[in-house]
Order: sequence, then structure tokens, then C-alpha cells
Amino acid sequence: MRTVTITGKKKPVVVTSFAQMERFASTLAKKMRGGEVLALSGTLGAGKTTFTQFFGKALGVKSRITSPTFTLMQVHRIQNAKREMRITDFVHIDAYRLRGAKSLVAIGALDYIGEPHAITVIEWAERVKKVLPEKTMWIRLEMVKSE
Amino acid sequence: MRILGIESSCDETALAIVEGRGERTKLVRSLVASQVAIHKKYGGVVPEVAARSHAEALPAMLDELLGKTRSRTFDAVAVTAGPGLITSLRVGVDAARALAFAWQKPLIAVNHIEGHIAANWLDSKILPQFPVLALVVSGGHTEIILVRDHGAYEMLGATRDDAAGEAFDKVAKILGLGYPGGPAVSKRAEAGNPIAIAFPRPMLASGDLDFSFSGLKTAVLQHVQNHGRRRVADICASFQAAAVDVLVKKTIIAARQVQPKTIVLAGGVAANTVLRTTLRLAVSQQLPGIQYIEPRLAYTTDNAGMIAAAGYYLSQKGRVSDWQTLEPNAQWEIGRDENRE
Repeated sequence: MRTVTITGKKKPVVVTSFAQMERFASTLAKKMRGGEVLALSGTLGAGKTTFTQFFGKALGVKSRITSPTFTLMQVHRIQNAKREMRITDFVHIDAYRLRGAKSLVAIGALDYIGEPHAITVIEWAERVKKVLPEKTMWIRLEMVKSE
Repeated sequence: MRILGIESSCDETALAIVEGRGERTKLVRSLVASQVAIHKKYGGVVPEVAARSHAEALPAMLDELLGKTRSRTFDAVAVTAGPGLITSLRVGVDAARALAFAWQKPLIAVNHIEGHIAANWLDSKILPQFPVLALVVSGGHTEIILVRDHGAYEMLGATRDDAAGEAFDKVAKILGLGYPGGPAVSKRAEAGNPIAIAFPRPMLASGDLDFSFSGLKTAVLQHVQNHGRRRVADICASFQAAAVDVLVKKTIIAARQVQPKTIVLAGGVAANTVLRTTLRLAVSQQLPGIQYIEPRLAYTTDNAGMIAAAGYYLSQKGRVSDWQTLEPNAQWEIGRDENRE
């Protein structure tokens, strides 16, 4: 894998392998309590889908997490989630082809975004910034140019 | 028996009438209205606009297709019930339900991918001999599916990240070739050298039948970052060669495992000449005795003829749906039928 920096609220994390990406994603997944919205931004090929796959897997998603570019939103059931959390859905949204924040309303995404039973990850989130809740966690992935 | 097909899962609103007799299906008439120009104007897909365009196009198209003979034109209604964009699917499904109710016709829910596979039998001189192995390649799908009979599917492998068609679109974006990107990349590739750049062949040695195209797209990006957008034709040709190589080799591996009688190519990317030719040659050279069918070029893109054809074969097996309860399913995975008997 290429070297990627992941920037959230804190200083950037540098990730140089899939194993490190997986560790980062699963550490973050453990902190989830339900209702969180993760907004991913970053250029093509920066690793947004890879992060999402590791993150979903760490949350307990058993089904295959692929890029929902055409269906725009894919809802995955979370199995064996900690019962007291009542997190049942992992919602994966890809706004790459989407135009306009209101579009998320039309596809029914607001039934999930921020709801306590769901954890939502949105790729290309900068395209739909307007409708995302205030507490949205913004994560920027950037590829580090090879020398 | 005549089937009215309705397709509205993505960017095309389509209607068709297909005549089915025995094992054969014949396209009687087909209408397609594309929304690509609309989405281009907005710089992306707006689901409400997409749904509204389908809803606006459908009544006039129905009028044109059915003419004065109206309900006597067809015996059953087949509709794409998934997978696709939920707002768009709903337009077609609701129209189909209304027609089935109003004219007391059987309603058949068709999976969009099943339609792409059935495009191979539509107007074909060669009939399928089961089991069939299907390589499905489109903007949203890259799958190897075993078809035991009409309506009986088993997914053997699929992409773990991006679909092949999506990789073509994103490579086009990286190279600044515009939308839709797949055909643009293939066009530029014609003048390029397919062995100029050694792009990776992802998952070729993975030991299963899955694909991955996200890394290939990133390899192209890396190449452009390091060498610039020089020799775009070579980049396109080398990228296409890598993608086709993996698709074809995995299909051959799958065929050796499951020993099908027929291999078919399906989906929008089935229009790609290099993919068609490479797969055809590979099957004839490496798998003698297995017949190979590819859909007519006109039936590779989204159309309703393929939906009506799939609907015909399903109706022969009594696999009908209830107009009162049929709901579109945006995530309907082929082989998992909750929508029909």
C-alpha cells in the first residue's frame, strides 16, 4: 500500500501498510457508541474505501463491503454487536456520483444518519456537507507522494 | 407469449415487448430514453431528478409502445426490482404494479443482473445449455455467477471493492477523459500499446474467484503522478489490458472448477471489444467443448428487452410476484429472492 496520512481532529496519523490501516480503523471502531457519522474526504485512490472496509469489519459487518457508487447507499447488518449498544446497521454512502446535499434525503439516508442504531460512513462527504449533523467526525485521507 | 419489460434502475428509462416461445425469445420492440445528458448538466446524479425523469418519460413511452391495442399487446409485465437507485427503481416498479392490477396480468420481478445475463438468449440462435457460467461486468458489478437454470443463480466470486466499470470511469477521470469514462478509455486505448506499462494484475493469485480493481486504479494514479499525463493512449491500453487479463483469467479458472456447458459475458462492459475478443479466444483455445455466447452489442447497455426476456423464462417457471406487495430492493443480490415465489 502507498503511504497515507489520516487527519481527524488530532494531528495526522501516518499509515504505510494495510495492517496499519486495519489497526487504525479498528481502534476507531471500538470507540463507536451508536449514531456516529464519519465523513471521509480525500482524493481518488487515497484509501477511503479500504478504510471503510476495515472499519465496517471491525464493527462486526460480515457481508462484503464494496463501493456503492451506483446504488449510492448500502446498509450492512451488524452481527454480534455489543447488545447494550443496539447498533444494528452500518451505513456506507458514496457521494462520488451524487450532486447536491438534498440528494441524501431522497435516497432515505436520513433514516440512518445520526440514528442511535446506526454508524454511518460517507465517502466524498464534502459533496454533501450541508445536511450532515454538527457532530460529524471529519476524516481526511491523503496520499503521500512517493519520492 | 408476449412480455412487457420495464427498466428504470439507473440512468435509462426503457420499455420493451419480447415474444417468448418455448426456449426462444425475440425482441419485438424496444424503447430507451437516456438521462446521461441530464446528469451531465447537473455534474452528478440527483436522485429526485433521476426519479422525476423516469416518471416523466414512462407514460409517453408506454403510449408509444402499446399504441391502440393497449393491454392486448402483452400477456405479463416484467420489471427490474433491484439492484439500483431506490428512487429510480420505485418508478418502474410502481408503474408495473399498476399495469398488472389494472389489466389483470401476471407481474414478474426481475433482478437487473439476471436481465443482463438473459440478454445473451435474446434473439440468439444458440440456446443456453446449463450449467452456464456468466462473467458479469458493468459500472456497478463485477461478478462470476453460476447459472444452474433460468432463475437459479449462485455467486462464485465478486469484486471486493470497486467494480471494473467503475475503475474505467475513475481512470478516465484521472486522465481527464470525461464521462462516461469507460468507452472513452477504450477509444483512446485503440491507439496505445497494451504492454507499455506493467500495471498490476490484482487478485490473480488470490486462490478464489474474487476481484479487486481499486488498487489498479491507484496504480494508474501513481503512474500519472510520477510520469504525468504523457502517452495517454498507452496508459489506457495498458490499464485495459490489465483489467481484461484478470477478468478473463478468473473466468477460465472458474470454468475449470465448475465445468459449465456454456460461458456467457454480460453487463455494460460486455460492449468492450478487447474483453469480448480476449474471452472468446481464451474459451475456444483453453476450454474446447464449452460453448461461448456474448450478447449483441445493442443489448449490452441497459434496456428493457433483457428484462422482458428474463421475465419470460421466470414466468415459465411460475416465478411470479404479487402486485399488492412487490417492493423495489436497492440492494437485491442475485440468487437471494425475497421478491418472488
